[in-house]
Amino acid sequence: MNKEQKEITVQEKKEVQTQSEPTVPGKVYLPTTDIVETDKELLVYMDMPGVSKDKLKIQLEKNVIAIEGEIDATPYSDLKPLYTEYNIGHFSRRFELSNEIDQAAINAGINDGVLLLTLPKIPEKQPRSIAVK
Amino acid sequence: MFRFSSALDTLLALQDAVEAARTSDYFGLSTTNRGSYPSINLFQDGDDVILMAEVPGMKKEDIQVQIKDNLITISGERKVDYPEESSIHRLERRSLKFNRTMKLPSKVNIDQVKADYQNGILKVVLPRAESDRPKMIDIH
Repeated sequence: MNKEQKEITVQEKKEVQTQSEPTVPGKVYLPTTDIVETDKELLVYMDMPGVSKDKLKIQLEKNVIAIEGEIDATPYSDLKPLYTEYNIGHFSRRFELSNEIDQAAINAGINDGVLLLTLPKIPEKQPRSIAVK
Repeated sequence: MFRFSSALDTLLALQDAVEAARTSDYFGLSTTNRGSYPSINLFQDGDDVILMAEVPGMKKEDIQVQIKDNLITISGERKVDYPEESSIHRLERRSLKFNRTMKLPSKVNIDQVKADYQNGILKVVLPRAESDRPKMIDIH
């Protein structure tokens, strides 16, 4: 196997390991996530294929933000699997936020199966350049 | 530096080779391989075959689906980008170009194929070709 082929292989979906039991039937997976930071905000991108806007639940408690995306399994119920490479399931992941985040101004949107969370920083915590006199 | 090769090295090399062979699908039964992007599920729905693939974060225009006889090719490019001047904390998603061909269980009626892309899932409905259906023969 050459290097190029190796790069294109998919990451296996990882199942969530938790102490608490899920309330919905079915498997729960960890969405693959990117987190990047700009001067003004923290951006969280999550791949959640199959999750529509109304099935997405984002909860903020203390400093923990919990993202849960449910998929609609009904289209699959009448189908007979012929060949399968991936499992379908809900998505769930939680992150701890730092105090720098303005929790009231958090914004979320999902587009083509990718969730974008915008976590703005509190203005006082944004980096400032200091003029040298 | 001169180094004696140990029996353990040989054994580990063997293990690596076995792992590589297992993931390469070289010994697989089909010409198409398992494990490349995107993962594909095939379902049977009556006479139709339904193909589903998870390709989140793409634009409809960036996905190409081609069918010839019983071979389907899905190709496209997924671009993952961020605002300029951002620093990265965690990267799990990837930009990639993909091109995957898969053999379908039956020939397809190409005019009736429907594909849609919703919530990051590509779904292609592939009706079975008339020429591929079993025919009932009347007994006189």
